[in-house]
Amino acid sequence: MCGLLCGCGNLPEPYPPPAQRPFFEAPAEAGRILNMSDADAEPHFVQDIDTALQGNTWRWTGKRPTIHLHPNTNQKLLYSIDFAIAGSTFQQTGPVTLSFFVNDHLLDRVRYAAPDRRRFQKPVPAEWLEPGENVTLAAEIDKVWTPPQPGGKPLGFILVALGLEQQDAEQK
Amino acid sequence: MKALAALAAAAFTVMACYGLGALLAARLGARLRRDEKFPLAFVLGAAVLHLAIFAVMALQIAYKPVLIAMLSGCVAAALATGDWRLPVAEDAERDRPLPGAIRYLFGIIFGIVAAAFTVLYLFNAWAPEISPDGSSYHLGLVSRYLRAHGFERVTTNMLLTFSEGVEMLYVPAFAIGRHSAAALVHFAFLIALALAVLAYGKRIGKPQAGAAAALLVYLSPIVGIDGTAAYTDVATAAIMFSVFYWIQLWDENRDSRLLIAAGLLAGYCYAAKYTAFVMLVYAVGFVAWRTRKWRPAVLLVGWSLTMAVPWIAKDWIYVRNPVAPFANQWFPNPYLYVLIEKLWTARMRTYGLTNLWTLPLEVTIRGEATQGLLGPVFLAAPLALLALWSREGRKLLIPCALVLITYFGNVGTRFLIPCLPFLSLAMLIALEGIAPALALLIVFHAVTSWPTVLMRYTHAWSLSGIPYKAALRIIPEEEYLGAHPEYQWARMVERNVPPGKLVFTLSGLPDAYTTREVLISYWGGLNNDVGDALNMGWIKAWQPARLSSFILPDSKYRRLRVVQTGTATIPDEQWNIHEMRLYHGGSELPRRPEWRLQASPNPWGVQRAFDNSEATRWRSWETLRPGMWIAIDLGRDEAVDRVQLELSGDEWDAKMRLETTDAQGRWVALDVPTEERTVRYSGSLRRAATYEAHLRGVDYFLIKDDDFGASDYAEWSGDWGWTRLEHAHGASLYKVNPQQLSPPGVNP
Repeated sequence: MCGLLCGCGNLPEPYPPPAQRPFFEAPAEAGRILNMSDADAEPHFVQDIDTALQGNTWRWTGKRPTIHLHPNTNQKLLYSIDFAIAGSTFQQTGPVTLSFFVNDHLLDRVRYAAPDRRRFQKPVPAEWLEPGENVTLAAEIDKVWTPPQPGGKPLGFILVALGLEQQDAEQK
Repeated sequence: MKALAALAAAAFTVMACYGLGALLAARLGARLRRDEKFPLAFVLGAAVLHLAIFAVMALQIAYKPVLIAMLSGCVAAALATGDWRLPVAEDAERDRPLPGAIRYLFGIIFGIVAAAFTVLYLFNAWAPEISPDGSSYHLGLVSRYLRAHGFERVTTNMLLTFSEGVEMLYVPAFAIGRHSAAALVHFAFLIALALAVLAYGKRIGKPQAGAAAALLVYLSPIVGIDGTAAYTDVATAAIMFSVFYWIQLWDENRDSRLLIAAGLLAGYCYAAKYTAFVMLVYAVGFVAWRTRKWRPAVLLVGWSLTMAVPWIAKDWIYVRNPVAPFANQWFPNPYLYVLIEKLWTARMRTYGLTNLWTLPLEVTIRGEATQGLLGPVFLAAPLALLALWSREGRKLLIPCALVLITYFGNVGTRFLIPCLPFLSLAMLIALEGIAPALALLIVFHAVTSWPTVLMRYTHAWSLSGIPYKAALRIIPEEEYLGAHPEYQWARMVERNVPPGKLVFTLSGLPDAYTTREVLISYWGGLNNDVGDALNMGWIKAWQPARLSSFILPDSKYRRLRVVQTGTATIPDEQWNIHEMRLYHGGSELPRRPEWRLQASPNPWGVQRAFDNSEATRWRSWETLRPGMWIAIDLGRDEAVDRVQLELSGDEWDAKMRLETTDAQGRWVALDVPTEERTVRYSGSLRRAATYEAHLRGVDYFLIKDDDFGASDYAEWSGDWGWTRLEHAHGASLYKVNPQQLSPPGVNP
């Protein structure tokens, strides 16, 4: 009994919060697909991406959603975007054209005549990027959905993931 | 010179034990026969001397002159009183010598076998010590205590929380003659054990069976390699058999003074190895049964406590657990985690064997899984059942059975050594008088236990030859030891790590050959925390993987508690929380100093869920089960609308509910919706892990090439923030670059 009491006496008093740890940046990656559900997604947003995550996987965009990444190479990179044209917005906008940019260089322009889930990928010319430097990636929609009530937020499309993927990257 | 010093130091220690034991035996009125005086006095003296050395260590006066004076005093006192002398040989009444020719032949065979193995053992014990446990923790602790001139509070090596009764005798031997002196002291226990078995055979009128049983024990391969290294198993067996012997001496004349010796030795059993304390149960039971009185039993227990209590107190003071490293569930402490104990003891119960019915073959012939073999002759162990038909046999089988019960807590072959004296005598007393059978058995045992024969049928841990050149230091010690990579690792640490710095390893090294403190990843709470951070640095499954949120109605709360409701499907699944965050209106509540954090179990680790590091986590360190909890007292009512937990990828069964307190302060469940999402951390977990190690004083890492994660540490050493100082003999030594940890990077 004595021993058991001593055992109970071992328990400590409640603790205050400890010193908060610093953040250590990861080394630059060759490529990164930024999923909208990633915990660290928001620090990569530059503009026109909603802060609210929908259905745990996607976010509404505005006219020109833009993110920044920090690739450590400019070789064999693929612009990659996973998105959807929503049926509800399509009813108002009709067919839309999306322009894809890397560091404000127009990579391509594609017209979408029906609402659906889409994926676009295209190699990025190496001379548009500097290894180890920030790069901005954007996708601009020509027509946004305008809410009927005044003051509402205009909506572009549904963004699931956007980023750079290295071609022939070895799977670890 | 080193060879002589080792031999002299061991001899000096053995003489002191014998002298002290002889003094005490005489004061207790023990009438020991000539053949039993050395083994019984030596072991009894060892018990008392160990306590004196414990006192020296506790007083922090373990200097070489003090130790030498202590040994000298024991020898001088025994010489001065005349107790040193062996009694005159007498023909035991019950000795029934064999006819002349047979006795001569019997003596020749047994003599040759015993001499050959003694030469084998002596040179192995005398050679520089590099046995796995001997050169790591048994002598590692001796070396450490001697540097500190006494006990040190060590909370980072659970092996150092075991009682160290035999190691106390290694202290003076090591101080004078270094490592191999300690191994030679252990060898002295082996000789004492064999002589005690021999003497007991004579005492019960079975001299040939006694001689053969002594050789069964002495020649056993596991006894040979263990008893010639700085281990403690053979010494423990000698102490346990001595308890039995003194109890039998008492039973002959019922002189209660002899119970003092038996009690001291039973207590010394605890000091040598916890499980050996079963001999107190035997002694108390035997005495109570024979006398039908409680006073002799109380006397036994009382004297045994004088030997055991110091070790209980040491653990109680140092790690808050009197029986550490066990029973951490009952004596919770931050130094030894419950789950580690549980997994470790589970492993000890099987050694990876899926079928324990293979144990008889494993411990007698194979020996690879259980790390050593007794020898094929012990397949004949069922012969011991014949002893049931004799009174002497039953006396032996009772302690044998008791000791055997404890074996199943650790099925390593060496944990059977304490059984062997009883078992061997029980096996052979029925063959007393059948000298050819005994001789054949011994010759068979000798042949199958000799190193060159052993290596034909097993790769188990055993002696491999007679290293006489190393023993005599014809081959210099450095050269002999240098052929062992583990020794080179210790020297690498010694060369590169400044004094006072901690070194972290995943699988240990010979601590006795470095003066730096080595943290093995699994032997302590701090070690487990550092190891866990390192693993999180590179193992995706252990990293933050899931955000689990409770969405609260916008209201104010003073206390919040998350309670586990899930049950693990595998024993090593824990509840892990990297971070617990509170939000209101989309913003995280700043963690104010007034907050108070608690958790159960592992309350000591709760801050790791509130340190803003993804490379740390509060872990239950117990198998995930319902009822575990983590709680925050905010110190005042605060508006909270979200409680968010970051969980690991390796807790598949975690399910939780949120609670708060009502007006009476009782915890009540909050029926609120939850959200789940996956997470990915964008920072460097490797660097964050290094930061945590650095905070805990660990700046050096010895990683062997085949260690878990070795290739990640080598390939990503820059990301870890480490510099490789040396790579040799299959291991790398890394150093943390403090400038890469401070100033910190950008906080997103």
